[in-house]
Amino acid sequence: MAQIELIHVSKTYGPTKHGRNAEPAVCDLSYVIEDGHFVSLLGPSGCGKSTTLNMIAGLEDISSGTILIDSHRVDDLDPDKRDLAFVFQDYALYPHMSVYENIAFGLRMRKVPKSEIETRVTDAARRLEIEQTLQSKPKKLSGGQRQRVALARAIARRPSVFLFDEPLSNLDALLRDQTRSELKLLHRELGATSVYVTHDQEEAMTLSDRIAVMSRGRLEQFGTPYEVYHEPATEFVASFVGKPRMNLFTVTKAEIGRYGLPGTTFTIDIGDIGMDQVRVGLRPEECDLHPADDGAPGHGVVKAVEPLGNVSDVLVTVGDQIFMSRVPGFGNYTVGDHVNINVTRARIHCFDQKSGTRVDH
Amino acid sequence: MGEAQSPVSAVSARSEPGREAPGTQRKHREISSGISRNAKRRLVAWVCGVLVVLLMVFFLAPFIWMIAYSLYPSAALQGSTLDMGFANITFDSYSRLLSDSSFLVPMANSAIVGLSTTIICMTIGAASAYAIARFKFRGRQPLLLSMMTVQAIPVIVLAVPLFILLRSVGLYDQLFGLIITYTAFILPLVIWMLVGFFEDIPPSLERAARIDGCNRLQIMYKIAFPLAAPGMAATAILAFITSWSDFFLAKVLTISTATTLPVRTAAFQGLFAMDYTSAATAGVITAVPVLILTLIAQKWIISGLTEGAVKG
Repeated sequence: MAQIELIHVSKTYGPTKHGRNAEPAVCDLSYVIEDGHFVSLLGPSGCGKSTTLNMIAGLEDISSGTILIDSHRVDDLDPDKRDLAFVFQDYALYPHMSVYENIAFGLRMRKVPKSEIETRVTDAARRLEIEQTLQSKPKKLSGGQRQRVALARAIARRPSVFLFDEPLSNLDALLRDQTRSELKLLHRELGATSVYVTHDQEEAMTLSDRIAVMSRGRLEQFGTPYEVYHEPATEFVASFVGKPRMNLFTVTKAEIGRYGLPGTTFTIDIGDIGMDQVRVGLRPEECDLHPADDGAPGHGVVKAVEPLGNVSDVLVTVGDQIFMSRVPGFGNYTVGDHVNINVTRARIHCFDQKSGTRVDH
Repeated sequence: MGEAQSPVSAVSARSEPGREAPGTQRKHREISSGISRNAKRRLVAWVCGVLVVLLMVFFLAPFIWMIAYSLYPSAALQGSTLDMGFANITFDSYSRLLSDSSFLVPMANSAIVGLSTTIICMTIGAASAYAIARFKFRGRQPLLLSMMTVQAIPVIVLAVPLFILLRSVGLYDQLFGLIITYTAFILPLVIWMLVGFFEDIPPSLERAARIDGCNRLQIMYKIAFPLAAPGMAATAILAFITSWSDFFLAKVLTISTATTLPVRTAAFQGLFAMDYTSAATAGVITAVPVLILTLIAQKWIISGLTEGAVKG
């Protein structure tokens, strides 16, 4: 079991071909991954999440800062000395070895006794239900089975830290959901500290104790799934986490405590925050729609209705903004309807226009 | 090619006039233009087959003729009528050559030179190619390009300087002289080929091996080399064949002690007469290892070992 601590960790690659200094891939990361926690690094492609994972693993050097595992500095140790296992996105199974040899390889390299290797491989294979495939070569296996072998290889090592680099992204949707649930059970069973890289917010939300949301190499927020969803620290987190995407727009002070969307009749009550303009975020599922009174223009006009079965997403044009509301069932709206938006039950998230940071109100 | 009857003709035979199924008109058009699509495909396949056979005959005829010469007495082939009955086949020339020390020594020389060159090229080449494929360092691309430039220089240009060089260091007519010369010529090609094979190995496998506790050297011989084995085998065979069957450099750089098989074979052509049977027999003996190795290499190249390594 292990606690991982990142202290001002940065990574900069060498100068570009044109001699200019490259942008840092990862910039000043500092957070603590508690012992036994499952932490997801969430962010879009190129945000530095895989680089961070590789730095924890020791597959990439850090440019500055410190990484501690159980209070021991590890950033100058080789990957195999850090007592961790890595599950790769493309599985990275050795094609010239059987499944058994693949799982046993890491143990052999660590000079684990033969009888112990056999016990551990059999145990890992049993847990992941791949006993039948132990003598096969990886190319004979399906994608799902290969992923299980990759997991078994990690489990058999019995490390104190598991690192996952988008391990489910190559599986089809159904298998992905199934493996995700199994992964959660597995983590509960093993209780080892796990760091999980993903760009899929659903994976991050369902699996994690904590989520580290990253953008452009920087940490945007480190918090529980609840905090990340309901109290986004920055506008980026607000826009990245949540499906459908949060409605984000700029409102201007209309009267004390009330702000309005310029050019429309839509106003919201934020309270006195001492700012003339502010970015506001509203989750679509917390906003209700009501048909406007006969002849009245309402806040906006329905532009499209996207039924999903149990709910429908209704797109409303409000001024020059597109506003989305998620309504129950198939909804009673058709394109062209004039509607009012009711935000009384919505949490209103405010962000500073320039810095994008959360403004409490 | 054993294909079933064309569905086009089957459909058109069943259709009644005036009640044509959709698409039948198009099929009619195909038939009225004289040839259906399936028939056209069959014709193309047939023509290709004939061309392949002709090409094979073109390439194999000299070889078959050489085998014939090695198996039949000259008189049977040089008369006005060819007498190629099974009864005339004789292995005399083979037994004669394989018991003749003036032939066996060059044969051993060729084997020593070929094997040594291959071993040296593969040892240095594999390590260099792995480094070029996996480490990004300044001058990597120019290095690879310069290797290919060496290949572009005609051997004949270098023959005389090499002759002078080897003679001055006492390696003229020495096996070692031939070995280092061949190594210099073949090594760049070996590196060039192996770089491609190593680059094809997914880097994540090597990263997995690092996590599993391998150092660089262990990654090389436990992961990279086994995975590149088919490519390495094919490259080794190419290196062997090149040095085994080279005539020109061996002719220039040796005179008697270090003579190799191709040079000895050519020596059957005298100033005034030509011993066709011996020359053909020597040719077959020279070609057989090359032939066998090529067949093996072909099999290894085709079997893609990395299949299944990563997603797919």
